[in-house]
Amino acid sequence: MKRKTNTLLETPSQTAGPFVHIGCTPNLIGIDDVFKNDFGVQPFKNVPKNKLINISGTVFDGSDVPVYDAMIETWQCNSEGLFGKDEGFGRFITDLETGKFNFNTVKPGFTKYENGKSQSPHILFWIVARGINQPLVTRMYFDENETKKDYLFKKINNKERQKTLLAKKIDENNYLFNIHLQGEEETVFFDF
Amino acid sequence: MKRISLLKKSSKNQPERFYPNYQSSILRAPKMNLIDLIPTNTEMTGPIFNKDIIGKLDNDLTVNFSKDGSKAIGQEIFVHGYVKDQYGKPQKNVMIEIWQANAGGKYRHINDKSNVKLDENFSGCGRFFTSSDGYYFFKTIQPGAYPFPNHGIKWRPMHIHFSLFGSFFAQRLITQMYFEGDPLISLCSIVNAIPDKKSRNYLVAKLDFSKSEKEKILGYKFDIILRGKDQTFFENRLEGL
Repeated sequence: MKRKTNTLLETPSQTAGPFVHIGCTPNLIGIDDVFKNDFGVQPFKNVPKNKLINISGTVFDGSDVPVYDAMIETWQCNSEGLFGKDEGFGRFITDLETGKFNFNTVKPGFTKYENGKSQSPHILFWIVARGINQPLVTRMYFDENETKKDYLFKKINNKERQKTLLAKKIDENNYLFNIHLQGEEETVFFDF
Repeated sequence: MKRISLLKKSSKNQPERFYPNYQSSILRAPKMNLIDLIPTNTEMTGPIFNKDIIGKLDNDLTVNFSKDGSKAIGQEIFVHGYVKDQYGKPQKNVMIEIWQANAGGKYRHINDKSNVKLDENFSGCGRFFTSSDGYYFFKTIQPGAYPFPNHGIKWRPMHIHFSLFGSFFAQRLITQMYFEGDPLISLCSIVNAIPDKKSRNYLVAKLDFSKSEKEKILGYKFDIILRGKDQTFFENRLEGL
């Protein structure tokens, strides 16, 4: 498809740098008397505790060192597969010392692709940090069985790489999702 | 047929992910090819933020952290511009968040280890929404340039970080605004990771004297273009135009 010649170019991306917290999560780093509150602290509000799932993980760089200055944003539909107003958005940081992230949300439902085919439950992860010049976008899936017929999974066409998108289920309510920016276990990242 | 899609990216317009002159990218840029994804509902929807949460001083960094009523130290400036999409259509209700160093080039952050002094009246953060015609405006002080570790020590040009939420997630943008005339811009490897010189210039705000007469404040104009939906699928007519 041709790009229309009369369209403008996007403003280019630049790294969020190591101090992204000042602008995006100031209340988390002790700048707590400027903004009333930070956005995305809880992707869904007023969810009964037994409906919540916990997702934790670490972002690793190419030498397997945890990235301790990343910001992760998540976007997802609710458990019925609906994308809602002010619901489903999360914003989390990797711990300044350990590089771990951790949040509570609900398990998203099935949605549909453009062509009407079923799209497996997933959460979009959008990652920025020092050294990341353009945001890295990946998706976390929950269950290998759920993804067997998924078009995007078939497109990846490599079982080992597909696995990088699957969270490890610890128990019914707890998932582990590590992200590798490089290396043998490099996570699949998407472009669109 | 109505189909959602995005305008194609121009690779020369975006910074290279792996750009060894910017040392931090070496271990943090993926080595494998990215997988092309036809945008789905996930990418073509996004959060809608509650504007009521914005405080009166959230767009005035000269006073929003004031401890004793006095202003932040430094050259006061205002920065303004329009947010549009790639068709030039104004983007309303875009949430913009900004952060920056103080006048001496020091961030209010535990990991900024420089021995430059913090300004007790300056936080370095602000946030606001664009109006119905895509316009935004904020007041701050001129941030200082500062040295950072990058193959030895290099200098960051004066800059303000911008984070923007458009109306769907694929429009999400984090970037940096630089200042017209700063000789450090062309030496900066974070800037030079963008292959096309013309594209690098999109990040340089232009001096603006429109308020210098009346309000005696120096201005900078910085327009921002967000990703556009591909409208070639709409027969003979562009959506919303």
